Amino acid sequence: MRFSVYRFDPDRDDKPRMQDFDLELQPNDHMVLDALLRLKQIDDSLSFRRSCREGVCGSDGMNINGRNRLACITELRSLREPIVIRPLPGQPVIRDLIVDLTQFFEHYHSIRPWVVDNRPMPEHERLQSPEERSTLDGLYECILCACCSTTCPSYWWNPEQFIGPAGLLQAYRFIADSRDQALDERLDFLEGPFRLYRCRTIMNCTEVCPKGLAPSHAIEQIRKLQFGRSF
Amino acid sequence: MAGGERLLGGLRAWTWQRVSALYLLGFGLVLAIRLVATPLADYAQWHAFWTAPPMATATLLAVVSLAVHAWVGGRDVILDYVRPRSARPVALALLGLLIGLAVARFAVALLAALG
Repeated sequence: MRFSVYRFDPDRDDKPRMQDFDLELQPNDHMVLDALLRLKQIDDSLSFRRSCREGVCGSDGMNINGRNRLACITELRSLREPIVIRPLPGQPVIRDLIVDLTQFFEHYHSIRPWVVDNRPMPEHERLQSPEERSTLDGLYECILCACCSTTCPSYWWNPEQFIGPAGLLQAYRFIADSRDQALDERLDFLEGPFRLYRCRTIMNCTEVCPKGLAPSHAIEQIRKLQFGRSF
Repeated sequence: MAGGERLLGGLRAWTWQRVSALYLLGFGLVLAIRLVATPLADYAQWHAFWTAPPMATATLLAVVSLAVHAWVGGRDVILDYVRPRSARPVALALLGLLIGLAVARFAVALLAALG
């Protein structure tokens, strides 16, 4: 199987290049990650992040044949050759397929990803009915792989100011949480032309999410809440 | 609650863009239907059509709607694409000037027609 992989080592290279491989796959090589590990046996300098190899840690998000995916759950047989593997778009490249996601995580932290409740501690747990808990479905499953944000054109144009689909999905996860007491502050934080409102409902995010989540739906819900409280 | 909401912040701009779009859609449809149903034969009819108070008012509102819609849309394009960031106020000012001049030109024409 033929591969074309993005290579860039800032210590050695002036500019990035694409390296071609022709790989003899073994019968148990099903996923792109399996192939990448074999490529690493051929060229040990090839660098990429990976961990769980089952699509739950979000480490191996990369651009495969033009689409952001998780390498460990992307089947090789579903891809046309040569398989082009590039780092997540728009992010500074640390090396090869490893990108700097500092900005991405800063946006995540900026939305205060924890339940805010400054009332006196309850004697028992903060109870939540099954209906209330179900409002978190489709939100809590986010693995912060950055596939969505790095495929969002609005995030490409304004990564410093626009929070991005992942951050906004997580913002809604806490806005929707019945135990959280900071709804108004969270909605205030997302006001202004940049933090949320760079979103043009392009919906690349929802199309590309490897966990099947819908950041555009979460953003719509936030807009509805902001609209509803304005009168 | 308007924390972080500057002039035409986030929600306000988004809302006005949709409100103005709905009005323009309605205005355009009504205009098209009226012109197809009763075509205007000469300048006198044309003049009477546009200067009738309901039509003139609706048209004025349409021009204002278009200006608001154009401002929000143009501002979004500038905020997305103009770099360096310090160039944005300049670009926004130019956009405002352009739209302002267009509205002024229309106002002059309307006053001349009514006057």
